[in-house]
Amino acid sequence: MGSNLTNRVRELRDANDRMTQQALADAVGVSRQTIIAIESGRYSPSLEVALKISRAFALPVESVFSLGNL
Amino acid sequence: MTNLSFHEKSAIGTLIALWFIGIFYFHSVWDLWQAGMLHPASMTGLATGLTILLVIVLIGYHITIAVTARPQVDDERDRLIAWRAGNIGGVVLGVAVIGVVVQIVLGGFFGQAFADSPMLIANALIAAVFIATVVELVMTLVFYRRGV
Repeated sequence: MGSNLTNRVRELRDANDRMTQQALADAVGVSRQTIIAIESGRYSPSLEVALKISRAFALPVESVFSLGNL
Repeated sequence: MTNLSFHEKSAIGTLIALWFIGIFYFHSVWDLWQAGMLHPASMTGLATGLTILLVIVLIGYHITIAVTARPQVDDERDRLIAWRAGNIGGVVLGVAVIGVVVQIVLGGFFGQAFADSPMLIANALIAAVFIATVVELVMTLVFYRRGV
């Protein structure tokens, strides 16, 4: 459990007018609990969800998600 | 409970209700067997009554959490957790059923009473389903809390 995928979702939410988790969840089409799990590293989203999150921040996916130490 | 999804709340409530009603059922079955009164009529009455109780409790609980929770989408994480927990529950069920079959076939070694009693066999199979369901619900909660 847990993953090698790291992300900047929380940091980017705060930088985007302190976007709420619910707002991001609504934009992406997942639950708020899934956003919480992604931010805390307890869940690695699918490629589709990762791309939707990146699009919500108008950033390339590599700027939002990255592989941790393998 | 505000950060718990509907599925988590459902799993918690179902696990608690199933555990207590299930333990009561098997304790009653044990008492009946010890008293030599474990026959189809007594078992049917017991199982039917407790099943109805379980259904009423679960319906009431799920209506309550559905009404008090904000609308939620059923997303990929929910589906993945349900699939993995169900997969584990299925393996447990398979192992438990095979265990019952082994007990039946080798009844002469582990006690002929088991192989000769359809009621004991039936309850052993019910216990297999109970254990598998409990494991599935526990794994659901583990996956939601610790990650999947």
